[in-house]
Amino acid sequence: MHTFFDILQILLIPLASPLITGVIKKLKAKFQNRRGASVFQPYRDLWKLFHKDEVISQDASWIFRLAPCIVFAVTLAVGAIIPLIDLATFAAPAGDLLTVIYISAIGTFFLALAGLDTGSAFGGFGSSREMTVSALAEGGLLFSFLVLALVAGSANLFSIADSILTTGNFYLQPIVLAGIGFFIVLLAENGRFPFDNPATHLELTMIHEAMLLEYSGRRLALMEWAAANKLFVFMTLGANLFFPWGLMHTFSPGALAAAVVIFLLKIAALCLAIAFIESTIAKFRFFRLPDILFVSFTLNIVAIGLIK
Amino acid sequence: MTEQTADSIIPAGHQAETHGQLTVFSVHPAELETVVLHLYRERQLPLLMITATDERVEGRGFRIWYIFGIPGENRFVAPFLCLDGTVEFPSLAPAMHEAWAYERRIQTFFGLRAVGHPHPLPLILHENWPADCYPLRKDFGWRTRPESAQGEPYPFQKVAGEGIYEIPVGPVHAGIIEPGHFRFSVAGEEVVHLEPRLGYTHKGSEKLFEELPLPDKIRLSEKISGDSSFSHCLAFCQALEALAGTSVFDRARYLRVIYAELERLANHLGDLGAIMVDAGFNFGGAQCSRLREMIMQINEILTKSRFLRGVCAIGGVTKEIASEAAARLTSDLLRIKEDFSGVMEVAGSSASLLNRLITTGEVPMEIAREHGVVGIAAKAHGIASDARRDYPYAAYDRLFFPTAFAQARGDVYDRFMARATEVPDSITIILTALSAMPPGEIKPPSPSFSFRKNAQALGIVEGWRGNIVYFVRTDEKGEISRVAVRDPSFLNWTVLGYAATGDIVPDFPLINKSFNLSYSGNDL
Repeated sequence: MHTFFDILQILLIPLASPLITGVIKKLKAKFQNRRGASVFQPYRDLWKLFHKDEVISQDASWIFRLAPCIVFAVTLAVGAIIPLIDLATFAAPAGDLLTVIYISAIGTFFLALAGLDTGSAFGGFGSSREMTVSALAEGGLLFSFLVLALVAGSANLFSIADSILTTGNFYLQPIVLAGIGFFIVLLAENGRFPFDNPATHLELTMIHEAMLLEYSGRRLALMEWAAANKLFVFMTLGANLFFPWGLMHTFSPGALAAAVVIFLLKIAALCLAIAFIESTIAKFRFFRLPDILFVSFTLNIVAIGLIK
Repeated sequence: MTEQTADSIIPAGHQAETHGQLTVFSVHPAELETVVLHLYRERQLPLLMITATDERVEGRGFRIWYIFGIPGENRFVAPFLCLDGTVEFPSLAPAMHEAWAYERRIQTFFGLRAVGHPHPLPLILHENWPADCYPLRKDFGWRTRPESAQGEPYPFQKVAGEGIYEIPVGPVHAGIIEPGHFRFSVAGEEVVHLEPRLGYTHKGSEKLFEELPLPDKIRLSEKISGDSSFSHCLAFCQALEALAGTSVFDRARYLRVIYAELERLANHLGDLGAIMVDAGFNFGGAQCSRLREMIMQINEILTKSRFLRGVCAIGGVTKEIASEAAARLTSDLLRIKEDFSGVMEVAGSSASLLNRLITTGEVPMEIAREHGVVGIAAKAHGIASDARRDYPYAAYDRLFFPTAFAQARGDVYDRFMARATEVPDSITIILTALSAMPPGEIKPPSPSFSFRKNAQALGIVEGWRGNIVYFVRTDEKGEISRVAVRDPSFLNWTVLGYAATGDIVPDFPLINKSFNLSYSGNDL
């Protein structure tokens, strides 16, 4: 049984992530009175891209060719060491919060390098904007995790979830504040509204997409898939660290069913929140983005102050 | 009274010739500046077009026409230069900035030299076009394919300084839009300078107008700028009707108003939606594109063409709106009006949307005036420029006409609101026209027309972007020898660079969309 959960721990994120983006797109369509594509459309898109020819710029170096694999591998690695359903998984000892933050940073680093690599004007724009946003988001991310680490007295994500499950009610205020701070970072790190518009075709406004403009075929598919993984990873972190109720301690069919259902509900709520934001507000001007990220940072500082 | 005013515009000692609404008189190159600047500065007449004709075959040399409108009197006045034995004419660009681009175009296409022009580079044709080849001259065959030339690369304006770098954007874009090149000079994200370079959709349309048979000429006018098919065709037909002396049936006049306003509605709704999508306000974007689609389907039901092609004809229109169709149109429009006001209520109360629109892409008032912007871009400045009121055509003189939208900042928000105000106004105009429309015929039976010889006429229509001007000239056999087209985009493109300056690069697509200019209509 444990082998099954261990395999699930590794494969759940990459297998389910396209569905998550599909669900968000569907919900957005519903909010806008449209019918929208099927929730399985992202799988079909990936399938299509994997079967397409690829064009690679003559000026591209090994960084451009290798970056999609690195970025994708990073999301796989991070996805494997975060609490998903089972707290007693083999991956638990590796799930350190600093490990998660800085392994993710490797992905961002290579993504930005790949954007610069071909020397196109838009790639440079995208990389410069991505680094601006992610440098400002890092503080919010680190401090929101720090709130949890201080509450739990541990930097291990599984211990944090475990500890909040048992003692969380005493620290509800700081955890909720840090959760909001984390959600803002989630939007920033994944290029969602109000930071970036994942649906735009306007090359001058893009952040994440601008770095991918030169990619096509298989490598584009890997990049898109990695982006979906990253979003799912962040949603899972938000759902299972700040609100860990439902996570399975020891295996029993009832606990498993409850864990799965509650996890799905939490993820669905986050999808709903993202779709709602993207349907109701406009994207912010680029220079207003730091303000929102400072809000995230401030919320986390306040949360730390509230811990007794 | 009207006669008197028009005549007082013509300087003493000039023989004026009037055909219909257009009065022309010849001026000497030496007095050109005085005469034209008198009309432009003292009389404050709007310049509609400067264009040239090649009449060397008839022994009259080249002519350059400076066409002004007299708003309120529905008349036009055009001093013209005769260049016999010379290819040089005095440039008015230093004194009248609006002349800048027109003169460059005349230089490029007729090989006439604007003496004293501050920036006499070719316009529209690129460096691969041979320097001594002038396609609108009569001795240039329309099928000629000149060898590709290796000219000097276009000298874009250079901005020097620490940290300034250039970004070339286009002519191939990430979205499905028309091709144009934009050269940004930026400091970080801030745009220091922007120079658009167009001409990628040049098709030789003006030359084709001289060659095609009449029915094809009319079809061609519908293709000058596809989103303004009806308005372009109407402006062309009006010029032809003036030349042929054809009068238009009353019912057709009202139908022309209805179709023209349907075209305006479809495009305004589409633009409002596109502006909201570009700002990332998806709800408004989805709703407005739904409403636009409703209008397009109404167009298709009424005329079998979503873009109202093949509807306008000399002397009338080809498609009737029967009484059942009229009743259905009325109820559809009332529903669209209600839906639209609901959408705008939501949009108007979205702080994040307004924050993106307000103060973005401001054009200084002086720049707008000096460049002679028209239509939506002018209304956003509170400049009352509307051919429907200034030179009433079709049945606009008999219809309720709402007051112009007045704002003064000239930013994206004002251009957005100028459109949003015109949507319910257009619906009101259509509803009034539907109820006031008299019964009767809509199109003259015989399709044969004879045009006055050696004459010229003007057609002007307020398209949804701004006024569309057609100048048509006939030769001594009464054949059409020149069709000059001025799409509103030709003027409004000149201020786009100013609108983007001082804004940040990620806001440029939004600014560009708030103008939504035609590349095809500019490049011809």
